[in-house]
Amino acid sequence: MTDNQKNILEVRDLSVSFGNQEILKDISFSVNESDFLAIIGPNGAGKTVLFRALMDFIPYDGNVKWRTNVKIGYVPQKLMEKAELPLTVKEFFLLKSKNLFFKDKQILNSVVHELKSVDIDANILDRQLINLSRGELQRVLISWAILGHPQVLLFDEPTAGIDIAGEESVYNMLHKLQDERGMTIIMISHDLNVVYRYANNVLCLNKERLCYGEPERALTNEQIKRLYGENAFYHHLH
Amino acid sequence: MAIDNQFLLILISGLFTALAASLLGAFIVVKRMALVGDVLSHVALPGIGLALMLSIDPVYGAATFLLVAAFGTWLIEKKTALPPEAIIGTFFTATLALGVILVPNEELFESLFGNLFAIKKFDAVIIIMASSMIFSLTMLLSRRLTLSIAAPDLAKSIGFRPDFSYLAFLLLFALSIALGIKLIGSVLMGALTILPAVSARNFAWSLKSFLIFSVIFGLIMTFTGILISTAFNFPPGPAIILTGIIFFIISLFFKN
Repeated sequence: MTDNQKNILEVRDLSVSFGNQEILKDISFSVNESDFLAIIGPNGAGKTVLFRALMDFIPYDGNVKWRTNVKIGYVPQKLMEKAELPLTVKEFFLLKSKNLFFKDKQILNSVVHELKSVDIDANILDRQLINLSRGELQRVLISWAILGHPQVLLFDEPTAGIDIAGEESVYNMLHKLQDERGMTIIMISHDLNVVYRYANNVLCLNKERLCYGEPERALTNEQIKRLYGENAFYHHLH
Repeated sequence: MAIDNQFLLILISGLFTALAASLLGAFIVVKRMALVGDVLSHVALPGIGLALMLSIDPVYGAATFLLVAAFGTWLIEKKTALPPEAIIGTFFTATLALGVILVPNEELFESLFGNLFAIKKFDAVIIIMASSMIFSLTMLLSRRLTLSIAAPDLAKSIGFRPDFSYLAFLLLFALSIALGIKLIGSVLMGALTILPAVSARNFAWSLKSFLIFSVIFGLIMTFTGILISTAFNFPPGPAIILTGIIFFIISLFFKN
């Protein structure tokens, strides 16, 4: 395959403004099939906004070109808590199928399969979405996103609230998905260790693109200091 | 015999109105639009007034005003940062003022509180057809609507358009209120929409059970209300709503 054929996403001079406020300015990068791109940056750097622009949820300037007919799965940071909506986990999955209220064995089998691939037992299906722990909810959101086998997964990592052991296995899980399904992963990360360990490309963002490339080369100490400020060093060292 | 026929006509029209309203009401409640719905129902008034002046069926005047207000609310909400209740509140005060000027006094009472006994065969046919249509369309819309309420970004990520689901929902809701005006009146139509859903929410353990309970409660409270109103010669609207309130109080003991 030539480079061009492997390319799955091409972003050129992407800018986003809300009113007079510029959130993202002239961002360019590209993603190839089976890449693991980590997007890092301080709070308010525009990472989630970048995701929303990539998925065409918000207006932007510049070019975002996905490969034709590419299927994208999206894992948001969290769901807004809507206690008034008594949605079960099963129903949450069925919102993706055409048969919300009738038995659809085929999709239920796929749901159980996807839950297994994120290490969750099928008996979670009868629980209410609102009663899940954050770790469980994150896994449910991941399996929701990969149901129907998208080629690309956009993963917006939660900033806090998931225990370290749980977090570790989420990354392993993503890595496994990538290996087994050749899935392309674009992930907003808050943990530089993850970037060094799993990502083959990194994009540092703080309104503008501050660095881009392979983590070992792009993420120098100088860059990290520029991105997060002086006291961010322990991130890198531990 | 004539009375029996009239009673059947009232009962069937009432049940079909409740069918559509109580299903929509479930979404109204989870979308936290309960008061919005209540207020929207009053937008019908000037439509009724105009229709009476032009000697056409008030339901059509009401429907026109409601649909325009629903669309206007959607459009203004999309273009500004104003919350729906503020926009509908504005529509409401404007239309209430207009309504009081336009609707003659004796008819005003009827539009506000309805008069089931004035229902004719033709009205019943319209109510049955329109309610069945609203019910089916709401069922078809329910998947998109639910995901748009639960997680708008996820809805967009699989190609749904939350803003269009919301518009379709508002228009269906406006139509269902128009249908209820003859039956129980614009003031109490909001309550017929919300009451079954708030009671159902206390029993429900899933979306499916919530929608089913809501519709069943809507049907039972309408049925019981109409029976009581016929037996004791009460106006049907208030009888239906008071029955619903009793349901709600019972449901509080079942809150899971």
